[in-house]
Amino acid sequence: MLAQLAVANMLTFGNGSAMTAVLQNSFVQQAHVLTNEQLLYAFALARVTPGQANLYVASIGYMMFGLPGAFLSMVVLVLPSYLMIPLLHSYEFVRGNRYVHGLTRGLAATAVGLLLTTTWNISKDSLNAPVTWLVLGLALALLMFSRLPTLVSLLLATSVGIGVVVLGAGA
Amino acid sequence: MRPTSPRPGPDASVSLRGLFVLFLKIGLSFGAGTGMSAVLQDELVARRRAIARGEFMALYGLARLVPSGSMTALAVAIGYRYQGWPGTVVVLLAMILPGLTLMVLLTVVYGLLAGSPALRVINLTLMPAALALVVVSGYRLGREFFTVSLEPVLILGGGLGVLLFGINPSVLLLAGGLIGALAVRHDTSTEDRA
Repeated sequence: MLAQLAVANMLTFGNGSAMTAVLQNSFVQQAHVLTNEQLLYAFALARVTPGQANLYVASIGYMMFGLPGAFLSMVVLVLPSYLMIPLLHSYEFVRGNRYVHGLTRGLAATAVGLLLTTTWNISKDSLNAPVTWLVLGLALALLMFSRLPTLVSLLLATSVGIGVVVLGAGA
Repeated sequence: MRPTSPRPGPDASVSLRGLFVLFLKIGLSFGAGTGMSAVLQDELVARRRAIARGEFMALYGLARLVPSGSMTALAVAIGYRYQGWPGTVVVLLAMILPGLTLMVLLTVVYGLLAGSPALRVINLTLMPAALALVVVSGYRLGREFFTVSLEPVLILGGGLGVLLFGINPSVLLLAGGLIGALAVRHDTSTEDRA
């Protein structure tokens, strides 16, 4: 798990969203040690709690291996950030290097494509009732077009969904 | 303002304790990396005047080149700038602990709900909302690439490579990075705005 996480972290430059694509493929589709629901829960938690968005790997680590999994996953996640120190000493070279710039742009663009695929894969499992489509549409509208904080947008969309489920309209 | 070269060695104008308290505050900030770096910039540049804006921008730009979260890389740079190696450990601990603790506690709650009717309601309601978050994150991450350039081709290649051919995402990322390194044009003005 740690090796997979290290690879995902290195290749997606620690971007929480982009890492989802590699982790979903490794843990959900290949190894079957995590479900899409668990992955989504962890992802959403990290978005509505304080701290970095990639902290969701700690939640995944905990789901798979308890506290040691959570702590070790964080260690794997932050270790590459120490590359900053040699970079500080070679700032002018790195900043002007077209290959470094191109590498990061290429990795980021490919990660976006992978993320779209992940969305498609997860949606096949998650959008399994009319109420799920309602919540998805509402959440998308709030996140894209309102200025509400992420937590409030999620709570609003989820509350409407719960209301529909409780009233028995979506079940 | 253009970035200026960051100071490569320690400068002890912010103590270890000061770093710990500052990064505890950063760790309690909402808005992920963007929100956290905004708070950090406000504290260090505007309030404490402990670092010039140009140098902070240079560190921020450099942090985006490091294969870990930009915020953790920026934290390491700031910790190292003021207190050397011990500073890097202190800032990372202070910044990560609040979020990590909360994440673990809420994951425990999720585990406790396993098998209960409440979990079914969560799956029907919170999960689609979380999926919307993934969609919006992907859109925001990718919108800077939706121009006439090589990047949309890489986006399409990444998506179709997995969907149609089942290629391992790590292999696709490596390929995308290599193609980018060889073919993407370097626009320094973008970097200067970062």
